Amino acid sequence: MRALPCLLGPRGPLPLALLCLLVAARGSLADGQPSASPFTSLPTHGEMMTKYSNLSLETPDISLTEHSRVPVEKNITLERPSNIQLTCQFTTHKDVNSVNVTWKKGDELLQNYLLNATGNILYAQYMFTIINSEQMGSYSCLFGEEKEQRGTFHFKVPEIHGKNKPLVTYVRDTTVLICKCQHCSPLNWTWYSSNGSIQVPIDVQMSDKYVIDGTSATETRLKITQLSEGDQGSYWCRAALRLGEREERVELVVLSYLVPLKPFLGIVAEVVILVAIILFYETYTQKKKKHIDDGKEFEQVEQLKSDDSNGVENNAPRHRKNESVSQ
Amino acid sequence: MARRAEPPDGGWGWMVVLSAFFQSALVFGVLRSFGVFFVELVAAFQEQAARVSWIASIGIAVQQFGSPVGSTLSTKYGPRPVVMAGGVLAASGMLLASFATSLTHLYLSIGLLSGSGWALTFTPTLACLSRYFSRRRSLATGLALTGVGLSSFAFAPLFQWLVSRYAWRGGLLLVSALSLHLVACGALLRPLSLTEDPAVGGPGAQLTSLLRHGPFLRYTLALTLINTGYFIPYVHLMAHLQDLDWEPLSAAFLLSVVAISDLVGRVASGWLGDTVPGPVARLLMLWTTLTGVSLALFPVARTPTALMVLAVAYGFTSGALTPVAFSVLPELVGTGRIYCGLGMVQMVESIGGLLGAPLSGYLRDRTGDYTASFVVAGAFLLVGSGILLTLPHVFCFSASASKPQDSGTEAVHTKVSLTRKGLQED
Repeated sequence: MRALPCLLGPRGPLPLALLCLLVAARGSLADGQPSASPFTSLPTHGEMMTKYSNLSLETPDISLTEHSRVPVEKNITLERPSNIQLTCQFTTHKDVNSVNVTWKKGDELLQNYLLNATGNILYAQYMFTIINSEQMGSYSCLFGEEKEQRGTFHFKVPEIHGKNKPLVTYVRDTTVLICKCQHCSPLNWTWYSSNGSIQVPIDVQMSDKYVIDGTSATETRLKITQLSEGDQGSYWCRAALRLGEREERVELVVLSYLVPLKPFLGIVAEVVILVAIILFYETYTQKKKKHIDDGKEFEQVEQLKSDDSNGVENNAPRHRKNESVSQ
Repeated sequence: MARRAEPPDGGWGWMVVLSAFFQSALVFGVLRSFGVFFVELVAAFQEQAARVSWIASIGIAVQQFGSPVGSTLSTKYGPRPVVMAGGVLAASGMLLASFATSLTHLYLSIGLLSGSGWALTFTPTLACLSRYFSRRRSLATGLALTGVGLSSFAFAPLFQWLVSRYAWRGGLLLVSALSLHLVACGALLRPLSLTEDPAVGGPGAQLTSLLRHGPFLRYTLALTLINTGYFIPYVHLMAHLQDLDWEPLSAAFLLSVVAISDLVGRVASGWLGDTVPGPVARLLMLWTTLTGVSLALFPVARTPTALMVLAVAYGFTSGALTPVAFSVLPELVGTGRIYCGLGMVQMVESIGGLLGAPLSGYLRDRTGDYTASFVVAGAFLLVGSGILLTLPHVFCFSASASKPQDSGTEAVHTKVSLTRKGLQED
């Protein structure tokens, strides 16, 4: 959306010129500068633009129709001061000139906005500059009176990220808690530990226990040495940005060595039992086999013995038989 | 104990398969899933990724170079005490690692200690397996090796859970307890005496006889070349997919597909290796050629369907060549010399494995993408399979309808009869 000249104002009981005068006066009062002429709404803003011309320009926009059921919202993440140009376009079948347009920041009415109409679409534009946290917040454009259509721009500072899962450590270990911001460089990082529900700032000078590493602008590291079970709990890292503040929580868990030791000893005992079972089973089957082998040997010996005795017995009758036959 | 003329091909052999299955899971599954600890260790010690990955590299290197030690000891004392000692070493390495205060500490405990423990377990077990089976050797080996693939599936989420609950120290402690099961697996390896054992002599004599064995040397060379190309996709496929602008999730899915077809390939090839008549070396040639071809085709495929098909093909063929590769060895050198033989092969082929990935990375840095790397990997595999052509019996299509008797036994029979004659003369 390119910049539109201020030609139309909201149609109402007041004449156009008087309204522009009011707008201009309001605008210059906000600037804190004496107004040069009644129709200086544009030049005043233009002065603002030149003052902050080295800042980047953000141009988010929202489209609404008169049949929109839910209010339309847009989130804008802003890290550094910027010039902002908000645009709302409203499509309607009714006469565009009869639509009532308002801009609000929170609940506060805003002035100094621009309007343009092309066919069935009404474009409302609001330009301003965000310099510090006061200008951050939610800006809404509202169309219509009875069935009000609303579009809201939410300005937020970038998020910082810690670790979603709790950090597990052991007693007498050393750990590092990290908070980082991907697309921003905070001016200042501070760490807090929680005592119950109160946030206690961490004093780095007090002892060697806590060391804050601030070499990188986009992340902060809190190193805690000689952990004890009392160090367990929530830690907060706070980032002070130019346009606001962000806070993130990191959870620390400190375990003693006994915690994993119990399952360890359980598994070791299980392995010892397994080995014992396997070896005992083997000696058992070997003994059984030996028993069977011994049994077989015994049978074989018996077999031989019985063969011998049979042979002796057989010989005798045969001998006798022969003798009887021969006679 | 009575000496057997033939491997039992079953019976207690299946318990050895079970033992080998769990051992390959506990050795290679742990190594493959070590990535979970890797991430935690990088954060905990504030070290570069390259330095932390040396832990696993040292472990793998020690496991492979230490294989001959494992095999030599097994020849002398039998596999059981060696594997059980290896299990204790591997577990102690992990146990000490859980108390580590520096990266060097981890290099020594996991890399050196656990690595040597693993060296004493894997090779003797596979060799023992080859002694227990003759007709169904490939199937047994294939089944045992599925332990690697399945454990990677199971251990990665398990390790992740351990780390989230107990942090890396507690996690390593419990992995140590897990590794102790290697001792139980070792207990399952009942010693087996085969008739050719006294004839082939002690480990020293076996080594020297192996070094003079032409086919064995050619086979080792072929396997080394195959190993050089084999591991490259494991290391670089993910990166190659990212180069082609694949999403990390879809790329990981493709890798799982490769893993599954690898598993299927192992079992199928194992079964096939036993049922198809003729020397197993022919099947090895077939699978290595197909793997080489599928690798070389990787750079050509650009569409997702083509890549998926190639992934399945690569997974299947590369999985298929593993059990057959192990089965060829007893046919070459005989079950008597299998321990020493396997140890030597593992040690030499590991050189290929170590060189393969860096070479591929170097080619990528020089040429800009992975085309050269994959083509070279495929070439290594094809050259390796070409060398396999020179092995005995590979071209004899007329003669053997059944498997050639372990060539070692022929030599042994002559030796045995000679010694008997000698005794008689005495």
